[in-house]
Amino acid sequence: MEFSYEVKDSYAEVKADGRLNMVSAPKLREFVTDVIAGGSNRIVVNLENTAFMDSSGLGALIGCLKAARQAGGDLRIAAVQPQVNMVLKLTSMDKVLTAYATAEEAFSND
Amino acid sequence: MTEVLAARSFRGPAAEDAIEAVHNGLDSLWLDVPFVTDMDQMTFTTAVIESASNIVQHAQPAGEREVELGVETTVQPALLQARVSAYYAKPPFGPMEPATPGDDAESGRGLALIEALVTTVTFERQGATNTWVLSRTSSQD
Repeated sequence: MEFSYEVKDSYAEVKADGRLNMVSAPKLREFVTDVIAGGSNRIVVNLENTAFMDSSGLGALIGCLKAARQAGGDLRIAAVQPQVNMVLKLTSMDKVLTAYATAEEAFSND
Repeated sequence: MTEVLAARSFRGPAAEDAIEAVHNGLDSLWLDVPFVTDMDQMTFTTAVIESASNIVQHAQPAGEREVELGVETTVQPALLQARVSAYYAKPPFGPMEPATPGDDAESGRGLALIEALVTTVTFERQGATNTWVLSRTSSQD
């Protein structure tokens, strides 16, 4: 899995390309923690190229959400693909991790 | 005798590398059986990876040998089945019932997710081998 980030006007966009599984989940958590430590507490995780997520990956997203909120911000997800959407719905975590169609929309009303 | 249309098999140390190898094996399996719907492929792959990850993360060796992961997946005309095994392992520790973790919990959703994804899950222990058998009735016509 490849991680990258870009600081935008009102948020930082994190991209996680590949499979978000037990191997990559701790790396996502570490990556986002570093982005937050760098001064961005409003995070959008762009899942456009995340073809797969399991419960470990979901756990990492929740950990990142908690870290962003503890820093006074929030974390939102965008461009969710079908398999990730299925996992979010089956675990009822779609109510906790709000999904937006695009990264630009995620904080557009704040 | 039931016709097996395609199959994949993996066996190796229960380590992180095994997860990617199993996932790659499943991706190639689906290429052999294009009639299996995207939904079936997606749900079954997720269940198998959850089960295999559970072994890599939690299986404890029964003796001096390291735990090995085995995944045998078969596609039959109306059935997807995987036998996901932990070899040289102690019996699973703790409850095998799905948990209902709170919204902010970062783990504990795997078993419930597996049960939601497949038609049946059964567990067998034979010698020092724990095997979870995942079956999904294919939604093809």
